[in-house]
Amino acid sequence: MTESVPQQALNEALDRLWKQFLPQIEDRVAAIESASQALASGELTDVQRDAAHAAAHKLAGVLGTFGLTRGTILAREAEFLCSGDADPAAASQLSEIARQLRALVAQHQ
Amino acid sequence: MSHRILIIDDEDDIREVAALSLETVAGWDVAMASSGAQGLARAAEYHPDAILLDVMMPGMDGPSTFRELRKNPATSKIPVLLLTAKVQSNDQRRFADLGVEAVLFKPFDPLTLSTQISGILGWS
Repeated sequence: MTESVPQQALNEALDRLWKQFLPQIEDRVAAIESASQALASGELTDVQRDAAHAAAHKLAGVLGTFGLTRGTILAREAEFLCSGDADPAAASQLSEIARQLRALVAQHQ
Repeated sequence: MSHRILIIDDEDDIREVAALSLETVAGWDVAMASSGAQGLARAAEYHPDAILLDVMMPGMDGPSTFRELRKNPATSKIPVLLLTAKVQSNDQRRFADLGVEAVLFKPFDPLTLSTQISGILGWS
């Protein structure tokens, strides 16, 4: 099916914005990766946890807007895992979420 | 019909996508602010038909910004729609109780955001 003119223009502009904001989206994924590594080694600080929580919250909001619905779901799981006192037993789960987020973002390019 | 929308959000990617959506799909005029304080000033000078206001912002958050908008006679009547990535029902109730026109959720669909806003504000 042929896209309408506004939809085509929107999609093209969204592609440009995706490229523009990709570095900060990758930085947010990196914040979750760092937190998962620190959690696994028992060295997660409050600052790291809060940074990962904020990064996950922002990813949850933005990824679906760019069409990555699965990314929003994963980011919400990471946000939950990083809220309050993060459980060291959740390190592998958080690491897997970060890995999947990294892959989703890379595939979308 | 063209409308004037002010987007207040500290996240530049969300701000830009929302602006792009409303400009490209609906042809509305959009102004942006990256903080609550900046948004208050912009609202008073731009006189938007509606404000799209993020909830979680550093410094003055969305609810605080909303209360300040209501205190100023120049902005007190402007419809405000909160924009949030929080999905828990107690958060949703708390936001709705503020007196905003509606609570919209991130992620939003850029193709239908303007239709959603129009429907809520009776602009259809």
